Amino acid sequence: MSSPAATAAKPASRKPGALRGQDLGRYTLLIVLLLIVVVTAIGNPRFLSVNNLLNILFQVSALGIVASGQTILLIAGGLDLSVGAALSVAGLATALTIMHTGSVALGILAGVVAGTVIGAINGMLVATNRATPFIITLGTMTFLQGVAILMSGGSPINGTGALFDVFGLGDFLRVPWPVYAMFLAILVMFLILRFTTLGRYAFAIGGNEEAARLSGIPVRRIKIALYALSGLFVGVAGVILTGVLDSGLPSMGTGYELRAIAAVVIGGTPLIGGRGTVLGTLGGVLLLGLVSNSMNLLGVGANFQSAVLGLIITAAVLLQKKA
Amino acid sequence: MTPDTPLAIQVQGVTKSFLGQRALDDVDFEVARGEVHGLVGKNGAGKSTFMKILSGAQPPDSGQIIVGGTAFKALNPAEGRAAGIAIVYQNPELHLDLSVAANIFLGAEPRKAFGILDDKAMATRATELLARLGLDLPVNQRLGDLDIADRQQVAIAKAVREKAHVLLLDEPTAALNKAQAEFLFRLIRDLARQGMAVVYVSHHLDEVLAISDRITVLRNGRKVALVEGGSADKDGLISMIVGRTLDAVETHRSVRPKTEPFLVMDGVSNAGGLDNVSLEVGRGEIVGLTGLIGGGANALAAVIGGIDHRHVAGRMSLGGEPYAPRAVREAIARGVLFIPEDMRGRGLVMSLSIAKNISLAALRRLSKLGWLKLARETGVATDMSERLDLNPRAPSREVRFLSGGNQRKALLGRAIFADGRLFVLEEPTQGVDVESQRQIHDHLRSLANKGATIVFVSTDLEELIALADRILVLRNGRIEQALSPDRLDPERLLSAIQTQSTRSVN
Repeated sequence: MSSPAATAAKPASRKPGALRGQDLGRYTLLIVLLLIVVVTAIGNPRFLSVNNLLNILFQVSALGIVASGQTILLIAGGLDLSVGAALSVAGLATALTIMHTGSVALGILAGVVAGTVIGAINGMLVATNRATPFIITLGTMTFLQGVAILMSGGSPINGTGALFDVFGLGDFLRVPWPVYAMFLAILVMFLILRFTTLGRYAFAIGGNEEAARLSGIPVRRIKIALYALSGLFVGVAGVILTGVLDSGLPSMGTGYELRAIAAVVIGGTPLIGGRGTVLGTLGGVLLLGLVSNSMNLLGVGANFQSAVLGLIITAAVLLQKKA
Repeated sequence: MTPDTPLAIQVQGVTKSFLGQRALDDVDFEVARGEVHGLVGKNGAGKSTFMKILSGAQPPDSGQIIVGGTAFKALNPAEGRAAGIAIVYQNPELHLDLSVAANIFLGAEPRKAFGILDDKAMATRATELLARLGLDLPVNQRLGDLDIADRQQVAIAKAVREKAHVLLLDEPTAALNKAQAEFLFRLIRDLARQGMAVVYVSHHLDEVLAISDRITVLRNGRKVALVEGGSADKDGLISMIVGRTLDAVETHRSVRPKTEPFLVMDGVSNAGGLDNVSLEVGRGEIVGLTGLIGGGANALAAVIGGIDHRHVAGRMSLGGEPYAPRAVREAIARGVLFIPEDMRGRGLVMSLSIAKNISLAALRRLSKLGWLKLARETGVATDMSERLDLNPRAPSREVRFLSGGNQRKALLGRAIFADGRLFVLEEPTQGVDVESQRQIHDHLRSLANKGATIVFVSTDLEELIALADRILVLRNGRIEQALSPDRLDPERLLSAIQTQSTRSVN
């Protein structure tokens, strides 16, 4: 049975606007990045030195890993506000394990497992409750902050031995190891989003959860897996940051949740989910790093820096609303 | 025929088009004070559009609305309210977390000095108002704790408080039981006696006949009749609604041999409202489900489609094996694919491409150890687009850019690619242009000819007759009647659907 080729395919009437808005958002990010680079380079020639650029990457490496994990959550219409506190708990788990056992390998394992388990628990709570991820993870965030203080007894757990030698001091071809870790995390997330069923399910759930359910996707299980995956990334970031600092601190992850979410959103992933890229997130992370760094080099005070960062994040979100 | 009483609202020559399609064509309409005016027509006859224009939710392309002595080219909702027009939907738009009194007085709360809310005065005045309307509702109760019927009464009380003198009721009894509906009819008659003009839209013709002073019939966007409620009868109304179409509905039916049953239901009842349903559907058979809203056609489709798991009693089997899915994916694994009416809300992932939407229910077949075979996915989508005549042939195009007909084809493609053997569809061609409708019907027939079983819910009489091998009319969660579409005309089908409506109206 064949039907005539002439179909009444009326292209939907409001097609072009939405696309253009999105592209605009993407280019805005690039333009802002370039502007910052040019202005800072003129104000301080040291900015463009290889050392400084590597320094920027080094400083954002833990953020980049956390933000990569957060990207797939936002694409799936989720959100995890507890990643900062979870990072502290993971870092402290690493530092405490190294202190008590002397084994760096066990320390790494402890941090990664802690992050993953916390993520999985968040995922179960989100998947089985009607409360929004925002409120649920706000609760776990507060809980984990308390746990971090209890674990540390309120003071730093110092000394991580070989972990510090690698992540704090070590480099390969002048590039510090944490920077490799960040790019690896981004690559892994890129592959998951593009080439795996898990990534595809994340897009489907974020785009239309009911349609995903009616297509037979095990929505709850996938949500738990996604939060656990993000938690794994947080655990890795916690281990690395502990190595960088040569200690575990109860406050080491403070503020990471908001900066990670900001980086994802600046990178073009909408809070309502259904679309997004981890390369965009990388752009968002670099933007945040560049802005801090350039303001440091230009001698802008810390309080002023926070205000400027806030403006950039707000502007990025407003631009997205249009898209 | 106009009563001598003054008119509450008058509509002259209202016309409205969507994308070149006439939804309303030069419609005149009037309601006198104290009149209950019924508005009837098939789905797509223009009732909803007309109500939207009356309530100010949409402007007409031309024509005018005269209310309270002022002529409006178009009303906006605020002007409509100010002019005394109130609309009550079957699910009233109220604030569930506020009290009954607070809902009635929303936006006009009694206040004490310094703008402080006077809850006591509000409760008192709400009680008085409700008593005057003969309603017995707890004024301080949270609205969300009340049932639909009570909420509807609150919405009507609110309209009275706002001094509305035109009340639009849209399918008000769809979610009510018999006693609740009778109570509502008494309330409507009381309001009319006090001078309220009521516009009553419903598919329940018995109700419309019993309650209306006059009835306007819409067909294909035109007003085809204005009749006195007392002089009309149901059969006459049905012929006016359907129209004496001489072009008989085409039934491209190739007579299929009776095959062994594929889906068997035995005494199935569930929390969705099904009551002891038994049914056999053969391989290659196309069964149409219909009935009035809430009659059970959608509930039955949800059970067969494996999306409603609130099983109470009875057994189902599929291809001889017991069938009791507890999750959608279990149904899909058995080859049962449910295609919802609401594409935007429940069907498609608008942010994803055509290809990704088509593959969504069968990614397992396009992946190995969790890794997607993207090139194969594109190939599959291209083949499916060709097979279904889906335009544009661009698998990477996001589905939100497609026309309604092509979006439905994409959904059908998903079900076909997921190896569907039993397709369960809700309103398979609603909102679709004529050409796409014909194509979708052809695809469904060809699936059936290849041995697939198809069950669809429709309120479109022509579609039921043209597509189904057997039409089942449901009422109160039961299959009331099975009709063969051969030599069945829309009029007789509508009359069969309406016969089911035995809700007494006195």
